[in-house]
Amino acid sequence: MKIGLEVHVALPTKSKLFCRCSADASEEPNTAICPICMGFPGSKPMLNREAVRMALSIARALGCKTPSNISFLRKIYFYPDLPKSFQITQLEEAVGREGLVEYKERGVRIRRVQIEEDPAKIVRGDEYTLLDFNRSGVPLVEIVTEPDISGEDDLRDFMTELRSILYYLGVDIERELKVDLNISLAEQRVEVKNITGIKNIADAAHYEIERQEGLIREHRAIAAETRSYNEEKMSTVQSREKESNEEYGFIYEPDLATYDVSDIVPEDPVYATRIADSYAKGFHANAQQIREAILFNRDTLRLIDASKDSNEMRIVMNGIAILQRHKALDIEEGEFLRLLELLRNGTEIDAGIIRRLRLGEEININMRANLDELDDEIRKTIENEGALIEEYKSNKKVFNFLVGKIAKKYKASPRYVSERLRLILEGEEKGHRAL
Amino acid sequence: MSSIREFSKREKPEDYYLRLVEELKKLNNSLNAFSVINEGLSSGMPFSVKDNICVEGIETTASSKVLKGYIPPFSATAVERMLASGFGFLGKTNMDEFGFGTFGLNSEKEARNPFDEKYVAGGSSSGAAIATSILRYHIAIAESTGGSIAAPAAFCGVVGFTPTYGVVSRYGLIDYANSLDKIGIVARSAEDIEETLEIIKGRDRYDTTCTGRALGREPRKRIFIIKELMEGVDESIKSHFTGFAERLKGMGYAVEERSVSGMEKAIAAYYVIAMAEASTNLAKYTGYKYGLKNEKYSEHYNEFFTNAREHFGIEAKRRIILGTFIRSASVRDRYYYKALRLRAELLARMEPLLEEGFVLAPVMPIKVPKIDEAKGLSPLEMYKADMLTIPPNLAGLPHVSFPYAYIGGMPLGAQLMTSHFNDYSILGVVKEWERVFTYRFRYNIGSL
Repeated sequence: MKIGLEVHVALPTKSKLFCRCSADASEEPNTAICPICMGFPGSKPMLNREAVRMALSIARALGCKTPSNISFLRKIYFYPDLPKSFQITQLEEAVGREGLVEYKERGVRIRRVQIEEDPAKIVRGDEYTLLDFNRSGVPLVEIVTEPDISGEDDLRDFMTELRSILYYLGVDIERELKVDLNISLAEQRVEVKNITGIKNIADAAHYEIERQEGLIREHRAIAAETRSYNEEKMSTVQSREKESNEEYGFIYEPDLATYDVSDIVPEDPVYATRIADSYAKGFHANAQQIREAILFNRDTLRLIDASKDSNEMRIVMNGIAILQRHKALDIEEGEFLRLLELLRNGTEIDAGIIRRLRLGEEININMRANLDELDDEIRKTIENEGALIEEYKSNKKVFNFLVGKIAKKYKASPRYVSERLRLILEGEEKGHRAL
Repeated sequence: MSSIREFSKREKPEDYYLRLVEELKKLNNSLNAFSVINEGLSSGMPFSVKDNICVEGIETTASSKVLKGYIPPFSATAVERMLASGFGFLGKTNMDEFGFGTFGLNSEKEARNPFDEKYVAGGSSSGAAIATSILRYHIAIAESTGGSIAAPAAFCGVVGFTPTYGVVSRYGLIDYANSLDKIGIVARSAEDIEETLEIIKGRDRYDTTCTGRALGREPRKRIFIIKELMEGVDESIKSHFTGFAERLKGMGYAVEERSVSGMEKAIAAYYVIAMAEASTNLAKYTGYKYGLKNEKYSEHYNEFFTNAREHFGIEAKRRIILGTFIRSASVRDRYYYKALRLRAELLARMEPLLEEGFVLAPVMPIKVPKIDEAKGLSPLEMYKADMLTIPPNLAGLPHVSFPYAYIGGMPLGAQLMTSHFNDYSILGVVKEWERVFTYRFRYNIGSL
């Protein structure tokens, strides 16, 4: 089985690719428009350098060769959403060529990374079609892979890796993503066009693989064709559009000439999977857990990086889980290290403590360093309060009173104290348990 | 003194602009120089704008029915700069539809030559050249893709200047072929052109190909006549042209004949590139965003677009069809890419020559034809009339067209070209010429 992808992602630039209109397509329809993105006669494109820089960063991160000069092409086709009746895009002199994405000890080759403009948005009603040109000219990057993806699981893994790489370059594809999927189980190549969203890619691939397998089982021919994905029915249908490269009639975009990109400094890529694996190996921790925490989370990666000398990946991951629950992952590194200290000493971390940490307040924990001291104190209390102890089994209030008293004195977590107290009282103590 | 400075110094009667507009309207009825005349003009040296260059709030159609009613919400950079320098907008000048034509006849109203109305004015900047020939104080902002400034300037007996590609911003120019389009100037003297060029040239962020490189004034003592260019020139012109070359010798220039191979391929290369680009530029006219609107919104978009595109003129349709064919994948190498290579080769062959001297040639291979004669030409014969103006236009070289003789009362034009960005140098030669040769004008509307 061979699967290849054409992934279109919107670049989060402030302005559009060829004009200064806002690239935020969510604004009131047809308000972020100008003569350039409306393709008015007389207007010319001006190239957005930040979009080029982002695209170059993506090309580099995907292991592509990047040229010192790029050029653009006109791809001509007639459709109501395309104001100039041609899309400015790239092909031969694209921003990146011949890349490789590696994950799980395998690789998918990247044929090309190209910059292009988004057409307008079409809103269809029963009796009408509306056009919103706010989206017209929003910068897109199209990533074209070779047909190296071997199946559904591989597709999922590749998309995860790609999403993570893009995430660390500031491009969040979870929200907006358009994919064309090429799947061939036999000789003939079937293209499924215009799939939107991460989940639909897997669903569309699943359906299409089953469909083609069915045809093969029945010894029927698979037609080389273009299909489109129906999200509601979760199936693919033959599509009416039949454009070929023959008909697109590409020529150079003469208004942009050749653009020198040799002085543009791309952003350094972050390969979260590799980082997770190396931490997991170094600290004998669970790679999957680390990976999940950092694949799409800059803060988690930052905090793990900051605390890597602590040598206690389990406590670090626990700290991260707690912060995640309290939506406090944006905590500063120094504060996080203090939090780890508290955790090591068995402190119950609640919203109050996190707040105090962030305010830089002192959190007093006298004997934190030695948990044995706490156990000694519990034993001492048991001796001193002999009479009360007799009652603890029948009266829950007595137990809670003791816990409160000890916890208060040592500013320790009530939950931890109650656990220790119960174990000691019941003579089952087996040493400290990690939280 | 340039007429621009002269105009600013001269006292003007109170009703100067009113009378100017009145006289112009009258004469325009027979010559069809203007598509729009600004009756509210009340100050500044008048300047006109070719109808494919946008002026905010003024209908701009590039002489095409498909753009009827298009009122651009912005002005071209060149227009902005003229207005900011105190020039007064006089109107939009007639042209061949989208610039597709050599004679000024591909327009709803055919342009007529001010020397004799039976003759063509030349195109595609027909109106710009006529306006310059009939107005005493006036500058025309025009545009050339393959000779659209030089040709009408030669036929109407005025000075037409096409700068190096990328010197004047194309922002606001309705595209014909973007890699060939140049905004230029038509005026009555080289001095006026130089002063206007100072105003409209220079870097513009709205046109990426407009670099703002400094323009040179490197003089050359030698003038070359390219043998291959003279081969197709009408015998009736040759003797006059030789006489002109002799006069240049008398002015101290060494005039020599040179050979440049491959010149004959320039026309084909030009039309391939021009049509390929034009067919993409015209794709945007689909009848729902601007210009002539197709109101039948219930149609499928394919039918809708097809109907909207019925309104192109015959020459526009021809170029769309040929251009679309040229771009199709199976022949793109054979035509489009080959033409791009030929363009680069032509420039490479001309560059060393242009480092040594200027190149001189007639502008048109024929005398000014009568309107009826021009109408009888086949498309191929029409394209061939551009054989002398295409080389400098294809290579993006600065060139200036100016009158050097009159036969049968009609002007003959010569053109001088030089290397990229050496634009001022050729204007210097024309200034020298103007000291020994007086241009003729039949009308002088707006004299002071």
